[in-house]
Amino acid sequence: MLSMFKGLVGSKSITIEDMQPALDKLRDHLIAKNVATDISQKLCASVAAKLEGKVLGTFDTIAATVKTTLNDSLVQILSPKRRIDILRDCLEAKRNNRPYVMTFCGVNGVGKSTNLAKICFWLIENNFNVLIAACDTFRAGAVEQLRTHTRHLNALHPKEKHGGREMVELYEKGYGKDAAGIAMEAIRYAKEAGIDVVLVDTAGRMQDNEPLMRALAKLIKINEPDLVLFVGEALVGNEAVDQLVKFNQALADHSSMENPHVIDGIVLTKFDTIDDKVGAAISMTYITGQPIVFVGTGQTYTDLKALNARAVVHALMK
Amino acid sequence: MVLADLGRKITTALHSLSKATIINEEVLDAMLKDISVALLEADCNIRLVKQLRENVKAVIDFDEMAGGLNKRRMIQTAVFKELVKLVDSGVKPYQPVKGRPNVIMFVGLQGSGKTTTCTKLAYHYQKKNWKSCLVCADTFRAGAYDQIKQNATKARIPFYGSYTEVDPVVIAQEGVEMFKKEGFEFIIVDTSGRHKQEESLFEEMLAVANAVNPDNIIFVMDATIGQACEAQARAFKEKVNVGSVIITKLDGHAKGGGALSAVAATKSPIIFIGTGEHIDDLEPFKTKPFISKLLGMGDIEGLIDK
Ligand SMILES: Nc1nc2c(ncn2[C@@H]2O[C@H](COP(=O)(O)OP(=O)(O)OP(=O)(O)O)[C@@H](O)[C@H]2O)c(=O)[nH]1
Ligand SMILES: Nc1nc2c(ncn2[C@@H]2O[C@H](COP(=O)(O)OP(=O)(O)OP(=O)(O)O)[C@@H](O)[C@H]2O)c(=O)[nH]1
Ligand SMILES: [Mg+2]
Ligand SMILES: [Mg+2]
Repeated sequence: MLSMFKGLVGSKSITIEDMQPALDKLRDHLIAKNVATDISQKLCASVAAKLEGKVLGTFDTIAATVKTTLNDSLVQILSPKRRIDILRDCLEAKRNNRPYVMTFCGVNGVGKSTNLAKICFWLIENNFNVLIAACDTFRAGAVEQLRTHTRHLNALHPKEKHGGREMVELYEKGYGKDAAGIAMEAIRYAKEAGIDVVLVDTAGRMQDNEPLMRALAKLIKINEPDLVLFVGEALVGNEAVDQLVKFNQALADHSSMENPHVIDGIVLTKFDTIDDKVGAAISMTYITGQPIVFVGTGQTYTDLKALNARAVVHALMK
Repeated sequence: MVLADLGRKITTALHSLSKATIINEEVLDAMLKDISVALLEADCNIRLVKQLRENVKAVIDFDEMAGGLNKRRMIQTAVFKELVKLVDSGVKPYQPVKGRPNVIMFVGLQGSGKTTTCTKLAYHYQKKNWKSCLVCADTFRAGAYDQIKQNATKARIPFYGSYTEVDPVVIAQEGVEMFKKEGFEFIIVDTSGRHKQEESLFEEMLAVANAVNPDNIIFVMDATIGQACEAQARAFKEKVNVGSVIITKLDGHAKGGGALSAVAATKSPIIFIGTGEHIDDLEPFKTKPFISKLLGMGDIEGLIDK
């Protein structure tokens, strides 16, 4: 009988042992929701550290307290510490008579080119005109993919609706050429032509592929884009950690600058394919501390959303 | 080698048995915990991992067992068996038959590597003197036809597709028919990426399958996938008759364990793995030799079949 009352009365302070069963359960829960194993572990450890020695309120149970604490830290992880306001920054660049430049990078097939096209659509809807720089000069069909999007986007927003101004143009030099050089030419062209925004598409690359990572670092170093976006898919598991760590590392290592330009933000794609297994959002923000700027939720131009941290945490804790 | 990280961690865990002076429940639990963590870090499905743990525990009865050596062997064998079960569907893969048309349809999630792998596979058979060819039944993805066209042209593989026809069923049917008439032996049909949440895309896949009546449907899965793999793989299998799996992007760091759950979910064997973006980055896959290599063992077949 007495032991039954202990948890309720709450005169005793909480020990790690008290919390362990609840923590183990939550860790497995996070893993099942596709949070990286190591990060699930760390999150639970930080909850334990926060609660150890605290005295429970009269009606609190350990399991519920552990859960609320974890919930709060998850919301915090997903809440951006820094706001990226692309439209404002585009306007600012325009006032300074230069194009705003965004670079998209990431591993193969995650949705760089498609979400670049969606972001292009969003910019056009906000009345900016755009130059797409086809700097994936490797993968078969990469240039034609962007040309098709350019055509579709111009059909949706014809010149006539924009005072005779063409809203999207493609800058391409075919295949096999140096990506960094094409990006540079494209940016110069945009500046001369008075184009507002340049979106630089890059080839997919594995984070361990040293020559390709070096080439990406070079592209970013010599072109100094305003924004470097890492595109990652919500499907990715533990690999998310390694991808982000190594992309950041490569950008830092190969830049030979004092303040290297690393990843500024994340585009989380294929969010429509994972049901409630939303853990990749946590893994990616936990590792970089950078915000998820866009969420891709489908294959059409309007399938681009802002992250709702509370909704994601709700799905995660369910 | 792929999954080397996982192999090393499991081997280390197994070695803990040889180091322990007595083998009791505690030692077994510790070892199983290490193996579970290793599998989870490699993205294996958490339910399958829990099952593996329970299955091993179920066959080890400490009260009934005699000497230490025997215990070690029994535990190791149980772990091997369970690991093989994870990767081995127990189903024999479809064997294409020379001298007649074999129609192979590719399906999978968006961006998993279908189109790239189609060309690799056609090339693989072409090098072995099969008359192989490609049909592009992806009318959705921007630039899909150009992608196949450029890949196939470079590898001198005949291809069929259209810039104007929007119905993938029509293209698939026409392409397969044409190549059959021309006496091709290995006819690969590439399709758009899709996911279970969009019913219309799954219906389209079924319609293409019904139209070309493939001898084998290959499910292409990306090695970086995490816990969402199982539900997707199972949904594909429930819609069409998936018969084989190819895991892509196993070059570099990829952990690949998530994709392994596609094997359990589709009850289909892995037949090839993709290890790069180039046309010859494709390796045939055989389960048991793979596991023995993974665990640094000689012949595990002997161990397991007892
Ligand atoms: N369901 C879904 N599919 C998406 C989303 N974003 C992109 N895709 C699909 O993912 C596939 C790959 O997209 P791409 O944009 O070509 O990917 P990428 O990263 O540019 O690929 P590479 O350049 O080859 O590395 C395409 O079939 C897209 O339609 C999304 O948010 N949801
Ligand atoms: N590193 C590496 N990249 C690969 C491998 N297989 C495919 N890729 C790359 O993955 C990306 C996507 O490949 P695709 O063949 O276009 O994928 P898909 O499944 O046809 O895509 P959708 O048709 O849009 O669904 C491309 O950049 C390929 O070069 C592989 O084994 N290793
Ligand atoms: Mg691309
Ligand atoms: Mg494709």
